[in-house]
Amino acid sequence: MTAPSPTPTPAPAPSVHGAADAHDAVRAEKLTKLYGTTRALLDFDASFAPGEVSVVAGPNGSGKSTLLALLAQTARPTSGRIHYAPSLNHRSALRAAVGMVAHDAMLYPDLTGLENLELYAALYAVAGPQERVASLRERFGVGRFAERPVRTYSRGQVQRVALCRALLHAPRILLLDEPTNGLDTDSVARLADAIAVERTRGIVQILVTHDEAFAERVADTRIALRAGRRVDGPTDGGEAP
Amino acid sequence: MSDPHVTPPTPPRPLGLLRGARLIAAKDLRIEARTREVTATTGLFAFLVVVMAALAFYLTKDLARQIAPGVLFVSLSFAGVLGMGRSWARERELGALRGLLMSPIPRASIYLGKLASTTLFLGVIALMLLPTVGIFFHLEPDLTLLVVALITVLTCFGFAAAGTLFAALTVQTRARDLMLSVVVFPLVTPTLLAGVLGAREVLGGAPLAQALDWLLLLGACDLLFLSAGVVLFETLLSD
Repeated sequence: MTAPSPTPTPAPAPSVHGAADAHDAVRAEKLTKLYGTTRALLDFDASFAPGEVSVVAGPNGSGKSTLLALLAQTARPTSGRIHYAPSLNHRSALRAAVGMVAHDAMLYPDLTGLENLELYAALYAVAGPQERVASLRERFGVGRFAERPVRTYSRGQVQRVALCRALLHAPRILLLDEPTNGLDTDSVARLADAIAVERTRGIVQILVTHDEAFAERVADTRIALRAGRRVDGPTDGGEAP
Repeated sequence: MSDPHVTPPTPPRPLGLLRGARLIAAKDLRIEARTREVTATTGLFAFLVVVMAALAFYLTKDLARQIAPGVLFVSLSFAGVLGMGRSWARERELGALRGLLMSPIPRASIYLGKLASTTLFLGVIALMLLPTVGIFFHLEPDLTLLVVALITVLTCFGFAAAGTLFAALTVQTRARDLMLSVVVFPLVTPTLLAGVLGAREVLGGAPLAQALDWLLLLGACDLLFLSAGVVLFETLLSD
């Protein structure tokens, strides 16, 4: 990954991990991503405030997942910039600050859910990893099944462990791509509660979902995409060329 | 008492290069201990290559000693490519590699961790192959076999150092297994040649000083591949 170095916005003092201030906003400026000749995202401008849940909506191929990949620094923009908090101007600091649930669970199928969480806790150097893992398991209802290999899980169980993984290191930027996929009603409620808890922590939360009811429940701000462009109004139809 | 759901953990400190590598290698070893996919399947494949070569090429005892190193390293390199492909395919399932790339550990840690586990897997296979080749090609169990073992270890390391770098790259392509072979074999030719020629000379009765030259050459190749891997890994994995 060699995304351009994030450009810090001017600020007098770095923010403290876990607490957020106005300088912790994430701002995308003229963000464009091309895959060959396919335009995935075009001149996207937006600001994501700490303590707010921003829901990005749009039809398939409108650039939602590309936007999250760019914000997570797992893809490099063709042009444009992303401005993060000044304290995140080192790559490792930025990586440590981002938590993400993507289409893929980012788990090892041959390890148990618990082993996966312990591995990620170690990779992120989480202090008190056992307590943290236990707390998140409780939050997302990850029970005894966590002691079985991930390969044996249902889609919903995988998603619940993926949510624990994304929150293990108490990220300051949480990116959720269709997080309700495969979740039952109880798990969706737990997820909404978790998002509310993270909102009180003042982190930036960006959520991509087709689940309109869920979006309605958690959204503070809405962003609509169509064919890679930010639009106002309804987003039905208009897949990316 | 504070609510554990709301209270975040204390600020994490990024892991060092070697600690990150140790975590990656330990993860690979744990998965392999559970599945035995790499060592069992590629080990069996390498064993069959040795058996077939023994049946096809064994003519006389003298000729066998000359052929043995080639058979050893051909089977090891085939097994190595298969093993590396499988080891990296695990990173691709469920997008685990993306998870590693998003974590704050140095990218070189991922390379070093995968290199350590791949070298260990290849070492285990070599440990099984050396006596097999010795039996099928009538090699005497003496000091020369120890030098051949040392040459084998250095060859495996060089092969793994180059292979790990490009396996990470090709795992994201469609024809990844084919691509890995096409990219890696030309690159590791100096290492494989040095291994085969060094082992052949040692088995042919060359003085140990001559073997030292081959060992030094292998060491230099290993160092070159290792340095290239540490430096280039991040660039090769960029989007």
